[in-house]
Amino acid sequence: MIWQLDLIILTLIILCAFATISVQDLLSAAIIFGAYSFLMCLLWTEMGSVDVGFTEAAVGAGVGTVFCIAAVFQTTRKVKVDHQMNPSKFIGLLAASFIGIVLLIAQGDFPAWADPDSPASRYLSPHFITNTIAETSVPNIVTSVLADYRGFDTMFETAVIFAAGVAVFAILRRGRGKEENDQAVAAGTEDVNQDLIIQWICRQLVPFMQLFALYVVAHGHHSPGGGFQGGVILGASFILLQLTYDLKTVLQRMSERWNVLLGNLGVFIYAGIGLLCLVLGANFLDYSVLSKILPATSPIMARSHGMLGIEIGVAIAVMAIMIGIYTNLSSHGDHEQGL
Amino acid sequence: MIYSEQLPILLMIFPLFAAFAISVTGVFHTRYCYPVAVCALIGSLYTSVGVLFEVLEKGVIHYRLGGWPPPFGIEYVIDYLNGLVLVVVSFVSLGAVIFSKESVKQELPDKIPQFYTLFVLLVTGLLGMTVTGDAFNLYVLLEISALATYALIAMGKGRAMFSSFIYVIMGTLGACFYLLGVGHLYIMTGSLNMGDLYTLMPDLYASHAILVAFLLILVGIWIKMAFFPLHGWLPNAYTYAPTATSCLIAPLMTKVSVYIMIRIMFSTFSPAFVFNTFAAANVIVWMAVAAIIGGSILALAQTDFKKMLTYLIVAEVGYMVGGIWLANRHGITGAILHIVNDALMTLCLFLVVGIIVYKTKGHQFNNMQGLYKKMPITMAAFTIGALSMIGVPPTAGFFSKWYLILGAIDSGQWSFMAALLFSSLVNAVLFFRVIEIGYFEPFADHHGHGHHDGAAIAIDEAPLSMLAPLVVVALSLIILGVYAGYIVTNVIQFAVPAGI
Amino acid sequence: METIITDYNYWIYILLMMIGLYAMLSQNNLVKKIIGMSIFQTAIIVFYVSIGAKKDATIPIIEHGHGHGAASQAISALQYVNPLPHVLMLTAIVVAVSTLGVALAIILGIHRQYGTLEEDEILEQI
Repeated sequence: MIWQLDLIILTLIILCAFATISVQDLLSAAIIFGAYSFLMCLLWTEMGSVDVGFTEAAVGAGVGTVFCIAAVFQTTRKVKVDHQMNPSKFIGLLAASFIGIVLLIAQGDFPAWADPDSPASRYLSPHFITNTIAETSVPNIVTSVLADYRGFDTMFETAVIFAAGVAVFAILRRGRGKEENDQAVAAGTEDVNQDLIIQWICRQLVPFMQLFALYVVAHGHHSPGGGFQGGVILGASFILLQLTYDLKTVLQRMSERWNVLLGNLGVFIYAGIGLLCLVLGANFLDYSVLSKILPATSPIMARSHGMLGIEIGVAIAVMAIMIGIYTNLSSHGDHEQGL
Repeated sequence: MIYSEQLPILLMIFPLFAAFAISVTGVFHTRYCYPVAVCALIGSLYTSVGVLFEVLEKGVIHYRLGGWPPPFGIEYVIDYLNGLVLVVVSFVSLGAVIFSKESVKQELPDKIPQFYTLFVLLVTGLLGMTVTGDAFNLYVLLEISALATYALIAMGKGRAMFSSFIYVIMGTLGACFYLLGVGHLYIMTGSLNMGDLYTLMPDLYASHAILVAFLLILVGIWIKMAFFPLHGWLPNAYTYAPTATSCLIAPLMTKVSVYIMIRIMFSTFSPAFVFNTFAAANVIVWMAVAAIIGGSILALAQTDFKKMLTYLIVAEVGYMVGGIWLANRHGITGAILHIVNDALMTLCLFLVVGIIVYKTKGHQFNNMQGLYKKMPITMAAFTIGALSMIGVPPTAGFFSKWYLILGAIDSGQWSFMAALLFSSLVNAVLFFRVIEIGYFEPFADHHGHGHHDGAAIAIDEAPLSMLAPLVVVALSLIILGVYAGYIVTNVIQFAVPAGI
Repeated sequence: METIITDYNYWIYILLMMIGLYAMLSQNNLVKKIIGMSIFQTAIIVFYVSIGAKKDATIPIIEHGHGHGAASQAISALQYVNPLPHVLMLTAIVVAVSTLGVALAIILGIHRQYGTLEEDEILEQI
């Protein structure tokens, strides 16, 4: 950690936060918010949290910003200028200053920042750090804690994404009849106002993105990354196609039905591996028991393989649902025309 | 595999896997969504009753997820309190899902798979919140049920979308406060397991950070349960939600939040900290008094039956929070018993609303004119629910109120007792007004303005899938009343923390 | 100077939290409210990640952890930053983006219904 860098990034973050709240144009606000997220990911990487930084880069700065922009495009970018003091502003100021004071009081009792002797550094985490290799044979401690020690959290985290996908669909989707949709898809993609250069470059880029995503998923045990990051990058490759070509091109490759099925399949793989452990006679998500059915695997390696399995499930689910959410947001739910 | 050992997780597996099954079959045909959801929730009810009996027989159940020992992994802890809440949650959600069949067909014909997927995910989240023994796991489950609720509400008509947006803001704020509080606990202790925190914290009770952590968690949960000054989001969200949605969330969301508050107060922190160090019990009882009186008065001002009920929910939250903060045995017993009773009473009344909406397409008071003649069974059930809400023996509502009043006397909180009596009086006025409209005013054909030429739906008893759960719930209100003493001596007694 | 270095992270997270909360409660525009919500959530993440920071420690990936001989090496907990908050915050980021998606979907629905994103104009129409 380089504290000078820390200071600079934190100051820039505050500037971005102020800017994104005060700028009178929603598109600018969304873009500045993307910059804010990138600074956040720098900050976290700088504090040694590579996995969180990676996730923020893919999720917050990448997909999150794209969602915001899609929503702004589908609504309006205008913001009504309003400098008058009204009750809600007063309540906001009051609540913000109250929470600020309360948190400052609490902060007085915190252990010093980055203190190796703080309770958080002394109590649970040394167990994870020293035993991850012996107990799970996964060197990336974040992966082993995420997918194994606290794997149950992660399963519901995947379920949260699944719920969000279904929720966005439930809120926005308004279809015409199925045949009409299919016809519209079949009617072709003779869109002329697309830029050939951008299209060509993106077309070259997409395979590499997807390859990289697969690497991130597969290599999550040994390096930063894992199912979430890989899944988001996979999803982003499709979103990029939607942005440069159009919605129809992507729907031809990845229809809505497949999308729903894949989203389900991903979460099902995760929960199914958990259930499999149960059926084999251990507790839910206790991967060590998988050694009974995996050939030539010790219980420790079975944990490692179990984690790989659930990471793949997570990646599939996240990919499908990110595409689904973006498709619905960018087309206002009718899947007729994207941005 | 020893079946009984795996019960706590089977409880969640049924609805979770049902979500996939519904979502996948929904792509091809919507016919199977409803039966799958019903079967899954029957499974949940069956296992949760099994879990409760396990607890009664053998004491507290610990279940290690992933096989890891507690502070390192996540564990489920089921004791008398959440064993009871589990049964309530799964019973109410089963009732709501059976009821939902016709209502969903009528209101959300093209969103059936999505509705049931979110419905069972919401139940999964609620069950998970009830059984988990890990403070962070609770947050994740809180968010899964919250996200499902946002969408389930936004699927309604009229103001539903905007109300849901307000709920997104407030719900996220509540969850974030909770997460922030857990972060404060983590920085001070280094642990996330509730039982572990319970043993680690006593040395730190004097620390400001722990006090602030408790305050943040409390405020977060209060926002989630719509405790009085923070209740603004609830009435509109619950009123404009689709019928089938409000039948599930109105009885359960606030009750599970109250349960979480008890869990945090007594199993993560301790009664000694909450009542001695934090020392705000009086203030909070006063806030509860304000909640009861405010909710009752606002309910009086409504002309919309469903909205009136939502304000009564706000008042009922005051009952439970006040009862717990009375800090004595009777008060807490009353509050826990009220979680059970109120879930069923609210379910009963919302099911009645659901039937009225299904038949008359509205939930104003004047939609109820003359309904006693047209649908006697529904209105009989309504009368039982109303009497229970007022607190007339032998319905269930009387007994929890009785314990709450005993608790108020024990602590000398006369204002709380007065508020309870006032609220009973207001409930009596409210419900007798409704009964009067339903019984004496002649039936008026409201729904038929557009289609008088024989297309009008005859107003008569609702279909069996709606009536059956309603009748069961109404009867259970009386049965619960009769066996209230049994439940208190065999279950709730052990759920009240020692040392109070 | 020492206090600034040790406490700066915490001050910044409190400030971010105040900005986010203010925007959530006071902004009239719905998208701005949602951006405020995201700032609030990232502030919490800054807080947690700051808990995990550790002086003179490296990223939480065991060095030379490949292969089966690795288990025999002595691993000192002081060498690596605390991974637990990172895990929790991975979950929180994903939850945040899910909430963002749902909230934006609701905003699109509101815009479809009322034709505006300003809270006061919507309330007038109701």
